[in-house]
Amino acid sequence: MTNLAILPILIPFLSGVLVAFTHNRLGLTRTLAMLLAIVHLITMGFLSFHVLTEGSIVLEAGDWIAPYGIVLVLDPLSALLVLTTSIILVAAVWYAPSSVSEEQESFYFYAFVFLLITGVSGAFITGDLFNLFVFFEVLLMASYALITHGGKKVQLRESIKYVLINLFSSMLFVTTVSYVYAVLGTVNMAQLAERAAASDSPGIITTVAILLFFVFATKGAAFPLYYWLPRSYIVPNPVISALFGALLTKVGVYSLIRTFTLIFHQQPEIIDNLFIWVGNLTMLFGVLGALASRNIKLIVAYNIIPAIGFMLVGIGMFNIDGLSGSIYYLLQDMIIKAALFLLAGTIASLAGTADINKMGGMIRSHPMLGWMFFIGGLVLAGVPPFSGFIGKLLLVRGAFEKGETVTVIIMLITSLLILLSIVRAFIRVFWGEGNTGAEPAGKHGSQIFSAGFLMLFTVFLGIGAEAILPSVQQIADYLLEPQTYIELVLKGDH
Amino acid sequence: MSALQDDFASIVQMVSIICLIVLSVSIILLIIRVLKGPTNADRAVALDAIGVNIMAFAALLAIILVTPNFNDIVLLIGILLFIGTVAIAIYLEKGDLIDTDDN
Amino acid sequence: MENSPNNLIFKTTTVLISFLLLGFSVYLFFSGHNSPGGGFIGGLGTAAALVLMYMAYGFKTVSKVLPINYRILTMTGVLIAILTSAGSFVFGQPFLSHTFTYVHVPLIGKMELATATLFDLGVYLTVVGIALTIILSIAQDRSTSEENTSGQDTYSR
Repeated sequence: MTNLAILPILIPFLSGVLVAFTHNRLGLTRTLAMLLAIVHLITMGFLSFHVLTEGSIVLEAGDWIAPYGIVLVLDPLSALLVLTTSIILVAAVWYAPSSVSEEQESFYFYAFVFLLITGVSGAFITGDLFNLFVFFEVLLMASYALITHGGKKVQLRESIKYVLINLFSSMLFVTTVSYVYAVLGTVNMAQLAERAAASDSPGIITTVAILLFFVFATKGAAFPLYYWLPRSYIVPNPVISALFGALLTKVGVYSLIRTFTLIFHQQPEIIDNLFIWVGNLTMLFGVLGALASRNIKLIVAYNIIPAIGFMLVGIGMFNIDGLSGSIYYLLQDMIIKAALFLLAGTIASLAGTADINKMGGMIRSHPMLGWMFFIGGLVLAGVPPFSGFIGKLLLVRGAFEKGETVTVIIMLITSLLILLSIVRAFIRVFWGEGNTGAEPAGKHGSQIFSAGFLMLFTVFLGIGAEAILPSVQQIADYLLEPQTYIELVLKGDH
Repeated sequence: MSALQDDFASIVQMVSIICLIVLSVSIILLIIRVLKGPTNADRAVALDAIGVNIMAFAALLAIILVTPNFNDIVLLIGILLFIGTVAIAIYLEKGDLIDTDDN
Repeated sequence: MENSPNNLIFKTTTVLISFLLLGFSVYLFFSGHNSPGGGFIGGLGTAAALVLMYMAYGFKTVSKVLPINYRILTMTGVLIAILTSAGSFVFGQPFLSHTFTYVHVPLIGKMELATATLFDLGVYLTVVGIALTIILSIAQDRSTSEENTSGQDTYSR
């Protein structure tokens, strides 16, 4: 049944509309949103299992044959990412009622969240470069609505930057797609891969590829283009920050993985070095930002950036260990970033401020929160046995295989600095004098539980790595062989 | 007979292209008026005239490309133009397009 | 109405022109799918006609004549579009597949009936709803911000 491939888009889209209908009755909206999010999670779990065991699903929308119509490809990589997205959706919907004001909630909050998920899932499963642009626009539209949701002055100030940067990169994206079409005469990814491999002028393809790299690097916040991200991501409500931090940048990274392994790998010496050096610089500069800030939300937001650097470096390795490290890191980073944003939001809301210098002694009244934040820091830094360690181990192995010793050193330094930035925040907030946020957790209980729900998954990704690693390595293997994807989509008859 | 038809067709093509060029020039002049126009009323009239020129443009393109598909577009531009001009006129008169609290 | 201009001619012509416009937008809506037109442009035509009515007669009068909540209209439109395309699940066809048939209708003659028109109906309603939501909220924002500057209006409508 090829129609299963549309479900990751259809369920959130339909849920968004249904939730929008009930926006006046808050209780009903909350229940419905939670119910639909769980339905989405279960369906995606089933779909991922189906894809991992029985092979990818390709849907030719509207019964148009592959290179002419739009295809949706639910392959193992997309399936795992869509599953992770649905986990984060459940946590966000769980966290929202205690954090978002009722006025905001009744103003189509859940509808926009579901539409954001629609766009993200669509970007993950589409098999068409122009369609990827369309789904980027869908998720950006929803994100514009969410980042200004509430309409505080600081939000409007930061969202102007966010909107302008994203409009510019969308413009560049659509221009680049037209270049791709001019050079290769198609926008279907499988056919692009086939034609790019057969092309006799790899120079021009690499040029277009570097333009596309800039587009996705803006979305994914890579080195020179990340400056807008941290401050924009901390202004909205913690739920929205968590969704943005966990999903939006990762969509950029996914697009890089997909297009650069499949299509634009004609001149490896240029492309690989680009990825590795941009990745190195992203790691270093991102973590310096995290060290320099004193705002707990900003520390978490800056920690997005070194993670992007790790993934870019992994793509640049272009061997099994590097790529599987990237994918593993991508999966676990989505979950841990969402959890950390939610925790930081709870801490800031309990303390009444986000400045870590004004907090202290929180561990006495909220031990659970403190230790979860600490574990989050350990996961980020890559301390065994948590999930960050597995990803970094794979990346280091990939780097040694490729002979990039400098990258290994930078990765280790970055990991240490990440640990320093989080542990320093932990010490300032939870230890020492003072007694910030001494009142009982109250409504924050459900916030801590929803973040704990995400923590469970990262711990599972770390301890249960044995169960997941084989499929991740299988995906990396599959990404290194574009021919599999081409045959899957085009079926060899065209 | 067919030679006559061919001649006629080529003359129509040529005339249409000349008309297009003249229209382009007039649109450019009107844009200057829109930018310069001493009063807003001048700008409104110039915008209206630009719209009329665009309608003519679409109609001439329909002749050149020998297709009936542009006819609806001419109508549609006319409608949007009418509403746009009315909106500008109301804005200049009242400063508020839609009355929310009268009658 | 003390500073309102004498717009008798405008009001009178609006009655005529907006109905012409509505008719034209319906024509555009049905001519879609194989020739220029379709749900999007038809919806814009309808929205233009409605905006003309709002401009001529003011918000309150038209709201009495057309008591439509445009947000619900938008959501209904999206729902129709989704359900039409998801209908392919029932028939075991790929998503978004459409089909058509020819029927003979008295007086009109042979007519094409396509399921794509249903999808277009969803698009039509969505476009009308969105266009009017945007235009009316901008218009109302202006007049309320002159009266009270409390800034709480964002949620009240």
